[in-house]
Amino acid sequence: MDLDTFFVSVERLINSKLAGKPVIIGGTSDRGVVASCSYEARSYGVHSAMPMRMALNLCNDAIVVRGDMEQYSRYSHMVTDIIAESAPVYEKASIDEHYIDITGMDRFFGSHKWAHELRERIIHETGLPISFGLSVNKTVSKIATGEAKPNGEKYVEAGLIQDFLSPLSIRKIPMIGKQTFHLLRSMGIVTIDTLRQIPPEMMEKLLGKNGSVIWKRANGIDHSLVTPYSERKSISTEHTFDKDTADIAYLKELLVGMVEKISYELRKKQKLTSCITVKIRYSNFDTHNLQKRIQYTSLDHVLIPIAKELFDRLYSRRMLIRLIGVKFSHLVQGVQQLNMFEDTSEMINLYLTMDKLRNRYGKDAVGRAVSHRPLKPALPYPTIS
Amino acid sequence: MKFVVSSTELLSHLQSVSRVISSKNTLPILDNFLFSLSGTELEITASDLETTLITKIKLENASDDGKIAVPAKILGDTLKEFPEQPLTFEINTSSMSVVISSENGQFTVVGQNGDEFPQMAKLKEDDKTELTIDSELLLSGITKALFATADDELRPVMNGILLEISEDNLTFVASDAHKLVRYKRMDGKGESSSSFILPKKPASLLKNILPKEDNVVKVEFDNKNASFTLTDYTLVCRLVEGNYPSYNSVIPTKNPNKLTIGRQELYNSLKRVSVFSNQASNLVKLKIKGNQLTVSAQDIDFSISAYERLNCQYDGDDMEIGFKSTFMIEILANLHTEDIVIELSDPTRAGLILPTPSENKNEDVLMLLMPMMINV
Repeated sequence: MDLDTFFVSVERLINSKLAGKPVIIGGTSDRGVVASCSYEARSYGVHSAMPMRMALNLCNDAIVVRGDMEQYSRYSHMVTDIIAESAPVYEKASIDEHYIDITGMDRFFGSHKWAHELRERIIHETGLPISFGLSVNKTVSKIATGEAKPNGEKYVEAGLIQDFLSPLSIRKIPMIGKQTFHLLRSMGIVTIDTLRQIPPEMMEKLLGKNGSVIWKRANGIDHSLVTPYSERKSISTEHTFDKDTADIAYLKELLVGMVEKISYELRKKQKLTSCITVKIRYSNFDTHNLQKRIQYTSLDHVLIPIAKELFDRLYSRRMLIRLIGVKFSHLVQGVQQLNMFEDTSEMINLYLTMDKLRNRYGKDAVGRAVSHRPLKPALPYPTIS
Repeated sequence: MKFVVSSTELLSHLQSVSRVISSKNTLPILDNFLFSLSGTELEITASDLETTLITKIKLENASDDGKIAVPAKILGDTLKEFPEQPLTFEINTSSMSVVISSENGQFTVVGQNGDEFPQMAKLKEDDKTELTIDSELLLSGITKALFATADDELRPVMNGILLEISEDNLTFVASDAHKLVRYKRMDGKGESSSSFILPKKPASLLKNILPKEDNVVKVEFDNKNASFTLTDYTLVCRLVEGNYPSYNSVIPTKNPNKLTIGRQELYNSLKRVSVFSNQASNLVKLKIKGNQLTVSAQDIDFSISAYERLNCQYDGDDMEIGFKSTFMIEILANLHTEDIVIELSDPTRAGLILPTPSENKNEDVLMLLMPMMINV
């Protein structure tokens, strides 16, 4: 099941004036991108992940909304709760997508009828339009959902899978992104039917391991399970600058703020990390990562120096930086074991108090002074004095 | 070289020294025992360059002094299977052949030149400290402290036991920065104040051979090496160089909250409840209110949880503190009194775990455990 233009639908629930108009959700700055857009906007050629400027050129009178992630996640939870109540096994694949395994339900209810009733109930209780595709596995269901939209349902029976897939564009297969699509398209492969006729060995040679998976998907073969719960594997944040910068002092301050923010997330979720990764993207889109294994921790004052050290080793070219990011991975559930020689009681109490303030007044309520400076470098280049 | 020795006596000596031999030796000759015969005394040496352990056997029947290195694994594996009987060793030091004759057979192995076996470290005669320690005292000190040593490549000093000698007492200290043991004995003393850090491996070797000893142990050390002389054994080892962190400053002195509880009772309860703790963090929470201690744990990933209530004597403010259950269990297992006292100040400061009443009037045992950071 997939919520149609989820962000737009939520905005429309809050502000009914948006109904029937082209709405774009996304960042409003120069480098903002479209996170979601209504079908009215899509008819002008706008699609998600498109730069906001280009979108506004295409559709001049679109209403741009900044977007409120907390609001969206609240609505998403409402939908998940309804599904959890009625479905035997479900997987929340993203904020607006759910896979539901209803194997066995056909004996009692009839799968299609059951799914239809669930959809009606979600629409009735949340007011959000939702579509579903029903078939034998995750891939076909997802493709069917895409075909069912907007606000519809599609049932692909076991015997009709090939007929259903054959005429569709290869772009519809979930694994095929922009680059793979261009590659296959340049080989003259347009429809899934053509893709299916390519020998799987050739696909594997062309695209590596993914090749044979794509070939299987094109044949409607997908044995992946609907996994009800998946452990959060990493926690990360990144920032793209409005204007590329090489102001190292500013970059480091930003890095401190980012580490501070996500290590608070770690502590809040009672997790510890043992691997920290710093990422930078130069203005020519060259992206570099560097990571380091450390002892399990969730304390800022341990993580910040490591992040800075990684950044120093990473930033080797005299080029402007476009994006900077930090990621904590190899997470485990747990709380910090204190060290008698390093962690003083005053320090720990400071952490506990700051976290308490953040819990109560929001995550930006309190923090290191350097990380609370305005998010703009003074000049693109550092001045030489 | 020729001698007759009892198979079980030889085996028991070989087994205690063979623990020195490391599985990843840099020198092939270190996979051997060095046998050296002088008069009626057979010395068997095993070494890993850092630590050397020598044992002596008195023989009745021996002739031709000499030395040879004998493959340790072959010898050990063969001897294990012998019932008690005299074995005759005949060693030809020029062809390096070792022939062992038993009641109904003969075993031949090839040894190596004994002179190639690395010499053990010599202590500086003019700069060494000497003292004698009662074997029981040394054993208790090592046994109490050994479990708390660290495994930290970055801080080698923490991987050993600190032995502090003063004019009125001996103190054993070990810590891995999460737990700390300080074991003080008033009935042992040295002539002047000094200290050394004994690495983990020789410490655990001593722990194994000391129970066989009734006499006092002669300890000598300089700034690099130490030697321990027992009746039948001599252990020489390299010491950990560096300064031990100032452990006294991390032992909290003001602990207004005192909890007295049965050791076994708490130990058993922790063992049960910790099954339900998160397997990565092993966090158990101790909540103390009035005269009741609640031990609880939960693992959100598997939706399991447990708690137990225990009666205790408590003098202090109500509080909740988190500990790693594995550490706490280890500490309790290394104390032997009926009751223990847990002294606490607040949930972010270390807790002291003390035996009560003391096991021995001459000793002062202090175990310290750092809490885990929990949001109360």
